[in-house]
Amino acid sequence: MTELTAKTKLSIGQRIKRNWREHSIVYLFLIPILIHFLIFQVFPFAFSLVLTFMDWRVIGVSEFVGFKHWLNFFSDTLAHKAIWNTVLFSLYYIIPTMALGLTLALIINSGIKFSGFFKGIFFLPVVTSFVIIAGIWSWIFQGTDSGLVNSILGIFGIEPQLFLSSSSQALMVLAGLSILKVSGSTMIYYFAGLQSIPSQLYEAAKIDGANAFRIFWKITFPLLKPIHFYVLIITTIGSFQVFDSTYLLTGGGPNYSTTTIVFYLYQQGFTSLNLSYAAVLSYILFFIILVISLIQRKYLGQDSSIY
Amino acid sequence: MKKIISYVGVIIFAACFLLPFIIMIFGSLRDMQYALLSPTYWFSDNLTLANYKYVLNDGIFLRWILNSLIITVVPVFSQMFFCTILGYIFAKKQFAGREAIFWVFMAVIMIPQQLLIIPKYIMFSNFGWINSYEALIVPEIWGIMGVFLIRQYLQNIPNDFEEAAKIDGAGDFTIFMKIIFPLSVPVVATVGTFSFIGNWNDLFQPLIYMTKEEMFPVTVGLASLLGKEGHFGIEMAGSTLSFIPTFLIFLFFQRYFTEGIQLSGLK
Repeated sequence: MTELTAKTKLSIGQRIKRNWREHSIVYLFLIPILIHFLIFQVFPFAFSLVLTFMDWRVIGVSEFVGFKHWLNFFSDTLAHKAIWNTVLFSLYYIIPTMALGLTLALIINSGIKFSGFFKGIFFLPVVTSFVIIAGIWSWIFQGTDSGLVNSILGIFGIEPQLFLSSSSQALMVLAGLSILKVSGSTMIYYFAGLQSIPSQLYEAAKIDGANAFRIFWKITFPLLKPIHFYVLIITTIGSFQVFDSTYLLTGGGPNYSTTTIVFYLYQQGFTSLNLSYAAVLSYILFFIILVISLIQRKYLGQDSSIY
Repeated sequence: MKKIISYVGVIIFAACFLLPFIIMIFGSLRDMQYALLSPTYWFSDNLTLANYKYVLNDGIFLRWILNSLIITVVPVFSQMFFCTILGYIFAKKQFAGREAIFWVFMAVIMIPQQLLIIPKYIMFSNFGWINSYEALIVPEIWGIMGVFLIRQYLQNIPNDFEEAAKIDGAGDFTIFMKIIFPLSVPVVATVGTFSFIGNWNDLFQPLIYMTKEEMFPVTVGLASLLGKEGHFGIEMAGSTLSFIPTFLIFLFFQRYFTEGIQLSGLK
């Protein structure tokens, strides 16, 4: 209180001086960053919406066309296929990524030696570029008789598969690549979750004579519920943004079977230079992600006690 | 018994996760024409460094590595600096609109970068930034996630140190440099490693902003080699070389990665 009364007695000049001394770091750094934020985040976000209502020409005059591009989206069967492919990709990808991440976390958490070393191995693909892993993946899944997977299948008398050249298999092969790439980070979330479960619960269950299988389904799995939700949301959002593997390995084919939303957006925007329509597609992607995020808010909000 | 299952499991999984990297290194040491042939060929013993010689003598590959270093190192250091200062401002300074600004930042995280790429492409065309480093450096000089991580971290540090320094007459910059920065080293390292991996591995943005071969970062460069006939050995040699910086960073900063991933989940 004494400080407050002292403050009121200061002249305006002194007050400005004092304010500057206490807040100079705020003015000097926050203001430039806010300007940067407006230029590189807020403006593009708004500009993108304007673009959807225009025929944006790279060279020449751009004109206002109203809802033309939005209406095009509703009749564009390829765009619908791209959304369907992305949904299909997420079906192949989400549950295996969660299951593999949880399995790895359970193994790491089971008291084995060198657990830090193994954790590092499982995490390695997360920090490796998609380009590197895709290059290797394309070799492993060659559609010829001599490809690695086909050679192994051959041992069991299974016919060589086309993999990336097959419109029914290519998307699954891409999902496999993403599962390998991402499950290391899923493991980290689950590992943190496992470590926060009190050990008394396990001890009590053991005294009651529960076996490992029962303990997992009755204690571990339900107590990881907030982690399941969080991981589900982030892998779902990630799966809707899939681009790198399609671009690197299939170019959207064969027969558009791996054309995902972001790949289609890329093609429309930067191959066909149809920037306005690509902006519409990017807004569709945004709406999908927004809905997923809002679901996260709703469910995670009441269940975040474990964090 | 349970232990045995764990050990068997961990070894099988570790072998699966390491297999791609083993293929990469072996592939890079194989004669390029034959590398695509049957895996049985791999067990023959004629290893060669020809692919590495080819890659290192081909000036363009070294240029790609240099480009990647430029678009990675600059944002890494500037993110560590700006995110720490902003994290400090949002955690410790009192000013009007602090919470509102911060939550606007956080809301913007939800906007996928694919939405911003089209308007940014048009903006950067007008700035003359296509095929120049600015397009990949200037937008990345700070990041919302980094600010968030550092703010979370600093909020848990008691104000005692700061107040003691203030009584001694230290200004904000002295407090920041002498107290806040040294205290935040672990979380600053997290921000730095995240930024390094994000920029070094980014494919989508350079693919759009860099159209000239000599401006490609190594990701886009390697992608342009991908699938070319007889290039597998070269591709793998290039991959191995481009993987070395990632691997070193990973080796020294693994702890900060995993902690950062956990922290980013805490809200």
